Amino acid sequence: MRGRGALAAGFIALAAAAAVPLVVRNSFALHLCILVFLWATLGEAWNVLGGFAGQVSFGHAALFGLGAYATAILYLRAELAPWWGIPLGGIAAAVVSIPTGLVAFRLRGPYFSLATLAVAELTKLVALNWEWATNGPTGFLITSLPTLHLFGISVDWEAKAPFYLSALAMMGLAMGTAAALSNSRLGSFLLAIRENEDAAEAVGIDTVRAKVLTLALSGFLAGVSGGFYAFYFRYIDPDAVLNLGISMEMVFIAVVGGLGTVLGPLVGAVFLTVVGEEVRERFGAGHLVFYGLFMMLAIRFLPEGIWGRSRKLLARLSAREARHAAPRG
Amino acid sequence: MPLLEVRGLTRFFGGLRAVGNLTFSVEEGEIVGLIGPNGAGKTTVFNLVTGFVRPSSGDVRLGGESIAGKKPHAIARKGIARTFQIVKPFPHLSVKENVTLAAFLRHRARADAEAAALALLERLGLGGRAGKLAVELTLMEQKRLEMARALATGPKVLLLDEPMGGLNPSEVGLASELVESIRRGGVTVVLVEHVMKAIMRISDRVLVLHHGERIAEGAPAEVVKDPAVVQAYFGHGVA
Repeated sequence: MRGRGALAAGFIALAAAAAVPLVVRNSFALHLCILVFLWATLGEAWNVLGGFAGQVSFGHAALFGLGAYATAILYLRAELAPWWGIPLGGIAAAVVSIPTGLVAFRLRGPYFSLATLAVAELTKLVALNWEWATNGPTGFLITSLPTLHLFGISVDWEAKAPFYLSALAMMGLAMGTAAALSNSRLGSFLLAIRENEDAAEAVGIDTVRAKVLTLALSGFLAGVSGGFYAFYFRYIDPDAVLNLGISMEMVFIAVVGGLGTVLGPLVGAVFLTVVGEEVRERFGAGHLVFYGLFMMLAIRFLPEGIWGRSRKLLARLSAREARHAAPRG
Repeated sequence: MPLLEVRGLTRFFGGLRAVGNLTFSVEEGEIVGLIGPNGAGKTTVFNLVTGFVRPSSGDVRLGGESIAGKKPHAIARKGIARTFQIVKPFPHLSVKENVTLAAFLRHRARADAEAAALALLERLGLGGRAGKLAVELTLMEQKRLEMARALATGPKVLLLDEPMGGLNPSEVGLASELVESIRRGGVTVVLVEHVMKAIMRISDRVLVLHHGERIAEGAPAEVVKDPAVVQAYFGHGVA
């Protein structure tokens, strides 16, 4: 009942958001929305592993960058259109994450986190040095996009609307995945792993398998986001897509929005993208100071995240209303 | 054929031999007590049998099938469940969810797992606590939750690590009755315990461990008179 209601609400919200480009013509506003959708997808990708299963990765930029590189290389070297290349980029990231997870998940807690950091830095070094595959520090420039006719209309890649709709669909996929996961057996197992890994094993949960599956899912979503990034910004290099900053931003978005919640990363992405752009405009180079301050305040005063806290308040309100309504029958 | 068989089980931690060449067996339907002074290796034996620690050598068999070296989740699936000396609930999940997660091992559908969990909570006197978070329970209730969760995995053998530690005398009485009712339910029980009165009352057989080796085995009343046991607990010159 609750699941079906949430599903319907989600579809209505997505449909409403899809209509926005019909009304809003301001390309900066659409650009901000695209950034929010992209970061919300990335936050969601990180959240299924970090929030649900409690496995804190500091290296998700590697999966994002892998998707970006795979998609760009497939396009530039094999002329594979982005609508095939982006899902393949996601699959590439998922496939690579399986053996990586099998090794890294032998470690727990902070040791796992440090291992993910090391893997990401290693990936960046590989991208910088395997010039035959990656162009090294020069990166890839995507100068033109393939023509695409949809419903008899030729898609205008210079406009924001096609990217807006793709990013929205991508975020819908990520949130749908997270919602399905949170209602599944695997999702329940992930909570058990987050709560106490030994106890989870003791009751028969194959913790390594659950974690590796989740990492692959998370890697797919991060890889798809990377592919989208490559075609939206049309330029990638190791510093742009394999930066430690990207890994950290994904963590922040999930934490600020609400760890282990489905809507949290969207809320976190709205706040961090909008606040980030706003302070960048006002304070120029000093903006990181304010960004850092905002992060500290959010973690100090809202440890469950903005959405995590709101959800609790809403539950309390509706419980109170139910009590007041009760005497009337 | 015994249900659980341990043969020549040995485990070194660095240079320390925590368990040495330990052999024992447990028949179906028995309650076997595992006792010994602190550091005797009792918990290590549980960790070896349930796969949390790999044996250096030796074998563990359940119903004739070797399970030594398997992962804990695989051993749970084979039918050995355990509780932990220091309780390990899923603290921020509800009591019902704690047990439901374990019931998933034998029930695919959530509704079936939840029904099995609620029935077990009822049986263990935690029915009224189902909606609480595990972290909100008292120690006695958390120990019961550990048992409910272990039973929800549908075990043939249940290993209880100090189920009565930290409980007051009347709680110990209740816990003893609970262990006996678990056995009546068809589950074989091995328990580590320091509360002697309880272990003497409910065990069919007692196994005494000292420095990782078996120093005595037999009916509770006989074992306590064994000079080797008295010496292990109280030192030379007492016996």
